[in-house]
Amino acid sequence: MSGLVGRLRAIPSWQAALFGALLVVGFLVVTQLRAEAPRVRYTSQERRPLLETALELQARQEALKDRIVALGMSISEVEATSAGTNVLVADLNRQLQEARTAAGLVELEGPGIALQLEDSNAPIPPGEPPGDYRVSALDLRRVVDELWLAGAEAVGVNGERVTATSAFTDIGTALLLNSAYLQPPYQVVAIGPPEMYARLTESPRFVDFLRARVRDVGIRLGVAQLDQAVVPAYAGSVRLVYAQPAVSAPPSAAPSRPPGRASPPP
Amino acid sequence: MRGRRAQIAVAAVLFIMGFLAIVQLRSQGGGSGLDSLTTQDLSALIANLNVRNEQLATEVSTLGAQLRDMDAARSRGETSLGGLRADLRRLRLWAGLDPVRGQGVTVDVSGTIDADAVNDILNDLRSSGAEALAIGDARVVAGTVVAGEPGALVLDGSAVPPAFRVSAIGNPVNLAAALTRVGGVVGRIEVANPDVVITVAPDDSLALPASDRSLAPQYARPRV
Repeated sequence: MSGLVGRLRAIPSWQAALFGALLVVGFLVVTQLRAEAPRVRYTSQERRPLLETALELQARQEALKDRIVALGMSISEVEATSAGTNVLVADLNRQLQEARTAAGLVELEGPGIALQLEDSNAPIPPGEPPGDYRVSALDLRRVVDELWLAGAEAVGVNGERVTATSAFTDIGTALLLNSAYLQPPYQVVAIGPPEMYARLTESPRFVDFLRARVRDVGIRLGVAQLDQAVVPAYAGSVRLVYAQPAVSAPPSAAPSRPPGRASPPP
Repeated sequence: MRGRRAQIAVAAVLFIMGFLAIVQLRSQGGGSGLDSLTTQDLSALIANLNVRNEQLATEVSTLGAQLRDMDAARSRGETSLGGLRADLRRLRLWAGLDPVRGQGVTVDVSGTIDADAVNDILNDLRSSGAEALAIGDARVVAGTVVAGEPGALVLDGSAVPPAFRVSAIGNPVNLAAALTRVGGVVGRIEVANPDVVITVAPDDSLALPASDRSLAPQYARPRV
């Protein structure tokens, strides 16, 4: 025993330092190789330009969406400042604001629920498809549908508003909503009545979802009730190419609907 | 002499360590999120982004023109009533507040289909560019979800009959192709439920009603 200690003491300190340093190098090399492993599979010559193109297009999409929101606000402002000049314009403006709200073009706030969904980090048993352990477009659609059924008035996911034309589509390990590329964690925010939370958590279909996806597979889900939930405005195209008005008469600006809201006295 | 060699060795090892540490940190921080996509997924994403950006650019130029017109009208002391009305008409159609007509497809469904399958059909129609949707006489808007048990489906509190029609306004070729392609939603549903029959047909004069839901929020307020 004392012989071994003596021999260890005899080792020059620089050798000991080198030994320690090499140990760290070995560790770093292994970590690096392990981290590279899933990436290497997809590395090919045509991949890099594709990646760069996708990133550029994404940046452009963000800029275009910001521009649309800004233009929409400017238009609302101009419309609002022309209000009051006459009853006709004021009424048209009120109807426009209602239509914008119904279409999802207005950012909303109110009491609500936030849910966060993340991929499972449970070990995947051999032979099972790894895709089952990720949050899929279908998972997200189920949660959003359950929120609607529980009485939600407006729903957003990661900054995208869910509208009448919104589709959820899987792409790789992430998904598309309103053609925007979203990746986990997915934050679903809904505004609705106070009983929305109870309705959601008592819904048999939502309980089935919790069993099948959260308990059995390990999809990570967090739920919070919010006093002040914020649901984003839809920042996209509302252009119609195939759909036309079913009646040829334009919507009347005359107060054909019950009077009494928001029309300022002349 | 020996001390010198030792110093060089230690310096070299430290250099390699530093290099590896940096490489490691950089490779972990590559967080665009696109790294995990295959080349095929990336191509699909790019195609999707291209189409979408084109639509957004059109929207930007239309809104820009609208704003310029309104500014010009205002500086002349007028209000463009025609512009406001056109804007209102378009938004009301898009939101489902007014009835619409146009070409598209009809999807006739019979048999004991489950609610998820019907919602799958709606999602697929939306993802292939449907501009307006209806199930039977009920317009499908944001928040319209089919619920209930197979054979006793419910839509907005009303029973869905055992045989019903989904109508979608949009490009008939794209809509039909998306539903009926191999591995598409119609094939999947029919394989899973042998008694369900789904017929997709183009239609060049569909008429969909306005939504009878109130789309005015009661709990949500515009954020200022």
